Amino acid sequence: MSPAIAELVPEYIRAFEAYTPSRPDPVLMRQYGVDHLHRLNNNENALGPPPAARKVIEAFQCDRSAIYPSGDCYALRLALAERFGKDPERFLVGNGSCEVIASVIKAFCEKGDNIITADKTFAVYEWVAEFSGFEARLIPLKDWGFDPDAMLAAMDSRTKILFVCNPNNPTGTWWDRDTMERFLRGVAGRALVVIDEAYCEYVEDDRFPDAMELMERHPNVVAFRTFSKMYALAGLRVGYVCGQREAIDYIRRTHIVYSVNSMGQPAAAAALSDDAEHILATRRMVADAKALLLPAFDELGLHYVSNEGNFIMVETPASDSLIYRQLMRRGIMVRTMTGFRFPNWIRVSLVQEPVMRDFLTAFRDVIAVVAGGAS
Amino acid sequence: MPATAQSANAPSAQGLRQLVLELPPETSFLPAAAAAAENAAQAFGLDQRGALRLSLAVEEFFAYLCRHGGHDEPIRLTLSDGGTFTRADFRFLAGEVSLRALNFAASVDLESDSGDDAELGLLVAARTTDRCSLSRSGPDVFHLYAEVDRAYSEAEGIATPQRLTPPLRLEPAPSSGALQHAALLAAGRYPARLRPHSFTRPERFADMVDSHQYQALLALDAADHPAGLICWRASGRRAVVFSGPYVFSQGASQNVSDNLGADIAKLLTEGFLARVARTETLCAFSERPTADLPRGWFEALGSLTLHGPDPDGDGKTGVEQPAFYRHLREDAGAAVWAHAELVPFLEREYDRLAFSRDFLSAKPADPARLPAHSLLATNLDRQRSMALLRPLLDGRDFEANLRAHVEAIREQGAEEQGGVDILLHLDLSEPWQGALAPILTACGFAPRLVLPNAGASDILVCQHVPGNS
Repeated sequence: MSPAIAELVPEYIRAFEAYTPSRPDPVLMRQYGVDHLHRLNNNENALGPPPAARKVIEAFQCDRSAIYPSGDCYALRLALAERFGKDPERFLVGNGSCEVIASVIKAFCEKGDNIITADKTFAVYEWVAEFSGFEARLIPLKDWGFDPDAMLAAMDSRTKILFVCNPNNPTGTWWDRDTMERFLRGVAGRALVVIDEAYCEYVEDDRFPDAMELMERHPNVVAFRTFSKMYALAGLRVGYVCGQREAIDYIRRTHIVYSVNSMGQPAAAAALSDDAEHILATRRMVADAKALLLPAFDELGLHYVSNEGNFIMVETPASDSLIYRQLMRRGIMVRTMTGFRFPNWIRVSLVQEPVMRDFLTAFRDVIAVVAGGAS
Repeated sequence: MPATAQSANAPSAQGLRQLVLELPPETSFLPAAAAAAENAAQAFGLDQRGALRLSLAVEEFFAYLCRHGGHDEPIRLTLSDGGTFTRADFRFLAGEVSLRALNFAASVDLESDSGDDAELGLLVAARTTDRCSLSRSGPDVFHLYAEVDRAYSEAEGIATPQRLTPPLRLEPAPSSGALQHAALLAAGRYPARLRPHSFTRPERFADMVDSHQYQALLALDAADHPAGLICWRASGRRAVVFSGPYVFSQGASQNVSDNLGADIAKLLTEGFLARVARTETLCAFSERPTADLPRGWFEALGSLTLHGPDPDGDGKTGVEQPAFYRHLREDAGAAVWAHAELVPFLEREYDRLAFSRDFLSAKPADPARLPAHSLLATNLDRQRSMALLRPLLDGRDFEANLRAHVEAIREQGAEEQGGVDILLHLDLSEPWQGALAPILTACGFAPRLVLPNAGASDILVCQHVPGNS
């Protein structure tokens, strides 16, 4: 009898759970019997892309679909270099920042190595490490934020990468410049430090550290940024890593070329050229949404965590997966937080006021429904 | 065809030892199979008596598969160290073997002039083991398991009150000694039906955790005294079932207002969910939920009426055991096969639980297209006096076969106080199982609970109601 397929697969793959994305809107709407669906689950920017990026997308010529894109995002890297005053060779662009996470781990880790991050943060660092056969050391959050001392204490000679999500998804907490500097001094160049700044454009506080500047003094720092959040190009999948040239050169060796599409590259470059008003408008939208939601959560007696970023976490009086299903029946999609190790919390994207009002109406209704129904 | 064996030192999926043999399906290899089972069992920690019991079962199963199976494929026998037991697993193709005798209740015609006593041998073998079951891992691939437990000594639960001091913390990797202490504290505070049997064989419980049969989290107080315990185990590939939380503060389990107890229970429950949240586990079900389970963390699926024994001596029979559920993902919807007779029950439950499900109409197959014999897997938990039936193959004799199973289980449990509770799991991803509703009703089964995402889609739990058929 031939061996079962499972016997051919490494144990760390057998034990890994593949991510299941949500189904398309029409399918979900049919399943839940609703005629609309507000997606408040992915922290997308509901304002859409900046005007210049929008023009590029609208002008995209269909015939260009037959031609491969620039394999190394040449023009986009030039635009990034100009924006940040760095050599274009110090940028590596990927199909969203998830792709560059995989490239960095492949470049730096070998059998027996480990990475360090928080237990309650963006899951992809941990996932990529684990399905690549590397240990992910997960440090509990402290006061909702990354714990620099515990991360340093967890390091050993096989620690290759420390991932710091700043601001953290989903808590929105962030390290200030002093904390980051102290941490980097503690690492002392023994491992690569990835500072994931996916939500940095939402932060207005001038104590927020800029990884683009830190890497000039700490050559073991690389920064991740994305066009999926503030720049509202999530559907085009563009993210990038920037670091010292030597680090990027090694990462490039593991990175798949031609992975960023022909529309995404110029749209991202255009977005950079025209972002000032867009960023202000987005920040206003987020502030307005918080001003609406926070008093309502207070009124309902619910705990919430609201810091930086276009999202908020709220604790629910019933299972978050039940709240999800009940909200879906009312045309609202949120993110359950059990998968982030915050059971009984949901995360809600902050968007325009009318949708936030719809959310609140549905949420109040659901809270009333589940109040006596759960265990 | 040559016999082959793989190294006994290669770790299995759980990091445990195993011995894999591919044996030609010839009775001349029977002594080799039996000797391998006996030797492996001893190497894996069974005493002489236990090793002989496993060896006998392997001998009978192997003889059966040789006589009734095809001769084109070797029989794969995997002997593995389960930590607290040794397992013999025969993997075989269904098409090669007459499966009828693998039914728990298959009748044995002792007057038959066929001269074939293999079926009797199977029944004898099954009863020499601690557990014996049949499962299906592919369209034609079946596994026949036999397990024999290591011997462990029993201990009394500890009921002595203890004073606990906050702050509390979780111990994610408790030592064997700490687990044994906690198991005895739980045994001294909670009735037997609310805790695993191994709590009164605490070394066995610690070994079960060590060998990943259970996972456990321990809560400790400021002085590192055990403050609470929760444990869980895999149930299929995508679900876990949990027992607890067990709380060791003074008011716990006595319905006394106990803020510290509530904190302990919440800490354990949150820790448990955080541990399983980023694994392949899709959902968590309660197996032995205590009254300390925090409100609002699980959904009530309903309850089962358990008539089994009265190990606590409180004279209670017909206890309603609630079932709780928690989905660890965002529900993606599913389709279920259901006979029209089941639809009203399912619609009501799905609406109450806010699950989106598409109903597919399941109709009984044309008997002419069915094989003569059906197949049911039976798991009999003698300590809980509970039998769980799972249909594995449809057949023209399904109704008679199910009635025979019920009868055989009731005869087995006739000496038990309250009798044996009989449950049946219907896998609603299988059209032929969804179509069984009229037969189940005729045999005295009633739908009680839906277990969302417990199988390829959902599982319907039916319970036999004595006198219904």
